[in-house]
Amino acid sequence: MSVCPRSNPDKYSRVLTSGFRAVVPFVIALVIGGAVLLATGHNPLAFYQLLVRESFGGTDRIAATLSAATPLLFTGLATAIAFRAGVFNVGVEGGFVLGGLTGATVALHAGLLAGCVAGALAGVLVSALPAWLKARWNVDEVVTTLMSNFVVAGLTGWLVTAFLQAKGVANSATPLIPRSAWLPDLLPPYGLTSGVLIALVLVMLYAVWIKHSVLGYELRQTGLNPRFSAAQGIRVGRVIIVSMLISGAIAGLGGAAHALGVVHRFVDGFSPGYGFTGIAVALLGRNSAVGVVLGAVLFGALASAGTTAQLFSDIPLDIVDVLSGTVMVFAVIRLWRQR
Amino acid sequence: MSVRLGARDVSRAFGPVRANEGVSVEIRAGTVHAVVGENGAGKTTLMRILYGLDQPDSGTVVINDQPVRLRGPADGIGHGIGLVPQELAMIGSLTLLENLVLGTEPRSGPRIDWARARGEAEELASRVGVELPWTALADNVSISVRQQVEILRALRRGADVLILDEPTAALAPAQVDDLLRLLRGLREAGRTVVFISHKVDEVLAVADEITVLRGGKVITTRPVGDLDRTSLIELIVGQQVGFTGFVPSAVTGDEVLTVAGSVSLSVRAGEIVGVAGIAGSGQDELVERVVGLRPPDGRITLAGQDISTLPVDRRRAAGLGYISGDRRSEGLSMDASLADNTIAGTHRTLGRHGWLKPSAVRAYAKRVLDGYSVRYGRTTAVARTLSGGNQQRVVIGRELDRDPKLLVAAGPTRGVDVLGMTYIHDKLRALRDNGSGVLLVSEQLDELLDLSDRIIVLHGGRVAGEVPGGPASRTAIGTLMLGRTPS
Ligand SMILES: Nc1ncnc2c1ncn2[C@@H]1O[C@H](COP(=O)(O)OP(=O)(O)OP(=O)(O)O)[C@@H](O)[C@H]1O
Ligand SMILES: [Mg+2]
Repeated sequence: MSVCPRSNPDKYSRVLTSGFRAVVPFVIALVIGGAVLLATGHNPLAFYQLLVRESFGGTDRIAATLSAATPLLFTGLATAIAFRAGVFNVGVEGGFVLGGLTGATVALHAGLLAGCVAGALAGVLVSALPAWLKARWNVDEVVTTLMSNFVVAGLTGWLVTAFLQAKGVANSATPLIPRSAWLPDLLPPYGLTSGVLIALVLVMLYAVWIKHSVLGYELRQTGLNPRFSAAQGIRVGRVIIVSMLISGAIAGLGGAAHALGVVHRFVDGFSPGYGFTGIAVALLGRNSAVGVVLGAVLFGALASAGTTAQLFSDIPLDIVDVLSGTVMVFAVIRLWRQR
Repeated sequence: MSVRLGARDVSRAFGPVRANEGVSVEIRAGTVHAVVGENGAGKTTLMRILYGLDQPDSGTVVINDQPVRLRGPADGIGHGIGLVPQELAMIGSLTLLENLVLGTEPRSGPRIDWARARGEAEELASRVGVELPWTALADNVSISVRQQVEILRALRRGADVLILDEPTAALAPAQVDDLLRLLRGLREAGRTVVFISHKVDEVLAVADEITVLRGGKVITTRPVGDLDRTSLIELIVGQQVGFTGFVPSAVTGDEVLTVAGSVSLSVRAGEIVGVAGIAGSGQDELVERVVGLRPPDGRITLAGQDISTLPVDRRRAAGLGYISGDRRSEGLSMDASLADNTIAGTHRTLGRHGWLKPSAVRAYAKRVLDGYSVRYGRTTAVARTLSGGNQQRVVIGRELDRDPKLLVAAGPTRGVDVLGMTYIHDKLRALRDNGSGVLLVSEQLDELLDLSDRIIVLHGGRVAGEVPGGPASRTAIGTLMLGRTPS
């Protein structure tokens, strides 16, 4: 039974409480950040006002926030799908990075669409082995997917320097993708690409699919109770593999979209940890479609506001890291409680 | 001071469901007080309130003649009340001793004093007259042993009122006798016991006073001397109940199930084959092999088709139904909706082009749940919110509705009330009379004798013998269960 004695089955209040639980970490983060600001002699309210203005105050700022949220939509969704099946896939980072390199390389020769498809396939490749090990031998997926991130990091670094290095560029990077193979911009002159549309469409598809499809049903049941599912004739191993492969495909597609839309090539440090922030997005959003969108936009806002807020105040950028770090801690606590 | 624990005009509603309505009971110190009633009558709800796990919407709990407010179980424990819940919550990977002292370990300095813990445990156990394998892991002992540890755990925390919610539902007859003896011992030592059970014979054997709940209200509280079996059942269900008793099969057909391996047996169409044995004699393995949850150790056929290597879904498609003996973690998904629980296993045939239409799902679930008289609010409610017996009805409904050729039924009436039990028994007989086969595994000897056409007795993972169904086989089964040959 639940901890709170008065478990009201009323749907409205259930929605409220789940919304409340999603917001709590952010509120606490703001309070802690405020305390730090006060202690260092700054006005927290003024700073938060600045943050809000810098992330949502005007078309350009909103575009920047959505742009920063786009990779998180992909990685958050990829993580949520696996989590929903009870698979703790923490290898989305690897899928995103390999998808980025593969997408950038294929698009160079075969264009936009081929680049996107190749990126998704690369993501599938990254998650395939951990998926099989988990389904067949029940090998802990947290270990294998975490390791796959390191393997991908090493592999991509080597591939770029050994084979794919652009001529005349000092740091390790692949050649610039021709403009014809870029993802079109959505709101010129602002740097928001149509990648955000792809991501949002995927999130909406997920919302309908998980709720109303046969496979979505099996995925939810497997996540809730694998023993029950197996006894009713759901092939749990197969569901686990499918969820991991879909998760990988979305991660890879996200990487390709980032390469083709934003960076226009693959470079060293392509992802500043989008896959890991995606874990926080999924956990805070409780693996729901709406939650993933909210989580991605909030983290996107913090990231985009952080870079410009600095220009207007003497508060060090680190305070933004304190805020997102606090939220992350809550996400990890939630992960730990779920397992 | 006469009322040790009680309720005064207690009401508690869950949405539209009135689980308790103006309930008043008085449990006198030093008595065994039984609370009986149909599934969903509100027994568990009342016990949770008396222990402080739940709070009433109105009315008060009474302790030692004084109205009190219990804010949580800690308050209940503080007032000397202990609850052994319907579903035991123990940590399987810890030993019995560790489970016993968990949270209140005796310490010497910063370290846990295991020698003293052991001493306390032995002392407590001998006081109530049980012997326990303290170093065994909780996962490796029977439910009956785990229950005894839970009781000692409550006593150790200073409980002199013990609330036991359906402690005998999963026990074999011999273990029930042990438990009843233990309860009588507690009463002799001056403690108070609140005892919930659907088995009227046990209630009449152990209780001093009996409170009957129906539809959330108290029907009556009477001393045990005023009641007999028939009158008590009538009070519980509000009508007379006809028991069918043993009715052997009229016609049997071809074999619908054959199993070869460490246990070999067959079930024919139109036949109920019972499986008896003390817990852990190979029943679980047999069931899991037939259902497909454990690799086979021989050939298994279903209606002539070799299913030994088929996955569960293909076996189900071939006509297998399965009532799991572990309702809580295998028969139901507690955090999934009733609709999702009901369509599980049928969801593929219900789907159109890979999609499930919400209205079709709801209609299917409603039809099954209503058809098996489950007391529920909405099909979107999670299974956890149903009372124990109603949860069991969901499982029964889901499996019987598909009209299986072979039904594997493990403990099909566990936690089900008197009326529900006769109802489920009649349904199983009807399934048989329609030409299906039933493999029935149960700890309840009466159930086996009443329902089965033949009974296979297991001992040490092998078949020890076979006897015909009906009341005459009782002693023979007892002998075979212990691995001896009947004279
Ligand atoms: N947390 C809850 N949320 C919603 N409904 C509940 C909850 N707990 C109990 N109920 C409802 O209250 C009613 C009484 O339930 P309760 O568990 O007290 O019955 P019970 O007498 O113990 O039955 P059983 O013999 O089947 O265990 C049932 O209809 C049940 O569905
Ligand atoms: Mg109950």
